[in-house]
Amino acid sequence: MSDSNNTYEQIEKYCLDLMDERERHYFELEMERNPALRKATEEHKILLQTFDHIESSEFIHQSLNHIHHHSRSQTDVLINQLKLHVNRYWKTASVAASVAFIASFLTFLAARSVYNKDAAGIFEPLNKTDENLKKEIKGLKNQVANLNKKVTPQPEGPAKFTGSSFAISQNGYMVTSLHVIDGYSNIFVFTEDGIGHKSEIVATDDSNDLAILKITEEDFKFNGRIPYSIRKSNPSIAQRVYSMGYPKDDIVYNEGYVSSSTGFQGSENQYQLELPSNKGASGSPVLDEMGNVIGIVSGKQSQSEGITFATYSKALLDLASKLPKDFIVSSLTNSALKGSTRSSQVKKIEPFVCVVKVYND
Amino acid sequence: MNNNPSQGMNDELLISSLAIGESKAINYIYKHFYPTIEKMVFKMNGSTDDAYDVFQDSMTILYEKAKTNNLHLTCQLSTYLTAIARHMWLKKLSKRKQQSFSVLYDNMDEDVAVDDDLSKFFEFEQHANKLTQSLTQLGEPCKSLIESFYMHDKSMQDIVEIYQYTNTDNAKTQKYKCLNRLRKLFFNEKEKVGNERF
Repeated sequence: MSDSNNTYEQIEKYCLDLMDERERHYFELEMERNPALRKATEEHKILLQTFDHIESSEFIHQSLNHIHHHSRSQTDVLINQLKLHVNRYWKTASVAASVAFIASFLTFLAARSVYNKDAAGIFEPLNKTDENLKKEIKGLKNQVANLNKKVTPQPEGPAKFTGSSFAISQNGYMVTSLHVIDGYSNIFVFTEDGIGHKSEIVATDDSNDLAILKITEEDFKFNGRIPYSIRKSNPSIAQRVYSMGYPKDDIVYNEGYVSSSTGFQGSENQYQLELPSNKGASGSPVLDEMGNVIGIVSGKQSQSEGITFATYSKALLDLASKLPKDFIVSSLTNSALKGSTRSSQVKKIEPFVCVVKVYND
Repeated sequence: MNNNPSQGMNDELLISSLAIGESKAINYIYKHFYPTIEKMVFKMNGSTDDAYDVFQDSMTILYEKAKTNNLHLTCQLSTYLTAIARHMWLKKLSKRKQQSFSVLYDNMDEDVAVDDDLSKFFEFEQHANKLTQSLTQLGEPCKSLIESFYMHDKSMQDIVEIYQYTNTDNAKTQKYKCLNRLRKLFFNEKEKVGNERF
């Protein structure tokens, strides 16, 4: 055996703690004297640790796979997933239920107080009582009506963070960037009137940083149909674009142009814009001059002002095609904005661009 | 939680049997802790597959610590494992998003200190990827030789028999040759010089 082999054997013996005290002592002295030996020993330790790690991880994975796939029948898995779904959404459901309960309780109170007034007011002139009663009933009716209007409970506390979103259907399907809402279930979309609407994630696309939300109120509807269309074809370089989003509380308009057909570090799922953007603009629509949505703002290059990255609108259409039946993709093929001036386009689009905020559960 | 593990098997016993890789212990941990972790990951927008992934990796951490006698719990085992899984999932979530994007995440309130364990694990995982790659580049028969010695705990004698070397010395020489090449492949990214002579 060569010297080098011998040294390796020593190193290995040392790393595996197989040396006796004397040998160990000499080896350590030698290491102090010889930095190359020390380095080789340290590297060998890393190598051994890594082998160990692979071995452990394989062992655990195999053992668990065995249990996981044998202990669970297919129905078990389904039932469990169902349970989990119930778990994920029970909060929303229970809030809705309690609001409904409060509303009906108030109606009951209203009815009862009317009845009491009737009994108490027995000696008063009838016409006046009538008047009073009518007024009171009206007031109570209004209160109940207001209560019913606020079916969406408003979020509590400060938002964790915020982004932008835009509607792709009149009944409340919204598009935003996945990273804005990922990991959270307490999501609210704020419409123009400042009312927050509880929303849930209905579809996501990791690689394109896209998410589609649905406002959960059953009777939610935007006023009027979606003015813009969503374009299938890819944008071309130098094309002029504009975007609208919520980096602050009020909507902000920006314009620029397509500067590259790839995104951050050459990512092919995105393209690059020369367009100012700020935190909170993620999820804003990017529109061409005809008012077609051609992308979704996803992020910007750190430490740069003007470079913004957008997701291709084609990816959005692909994702939207997986949505349930109450969403119709074909409704997005006609833009009602062609030929309008920019400012009238913006005015028409504005109601459909909303703030998204996520809150702690 | 009605599945309080300390009622069935106590933590110490569980850890010591996990340390020697007893399937009973792994079974027990899966049965009693997995449902909670699955629920948690699911609540944080993970799929059931994500949950299982996270659980496997968290178990690996637990096993490695138990094996090296490094698991000194200051809380219940279930609490520790859940904390590991939770942070693991958060890390995986944030890794999925493109890193240089300006995304803000608030740190969750620290429940149990698991940061060191996690960063060690991710470092190991990185090394493991590199090593698997290097082993593939190494080619046969070196790959199998190295794997049987370092990963499948075969003795030099076993290796002489499997690979039909004339004697142990011969097998050793071969092993060190392979190891040397592997080291170069594995470490070369950092530097190329000076590993040879001592």
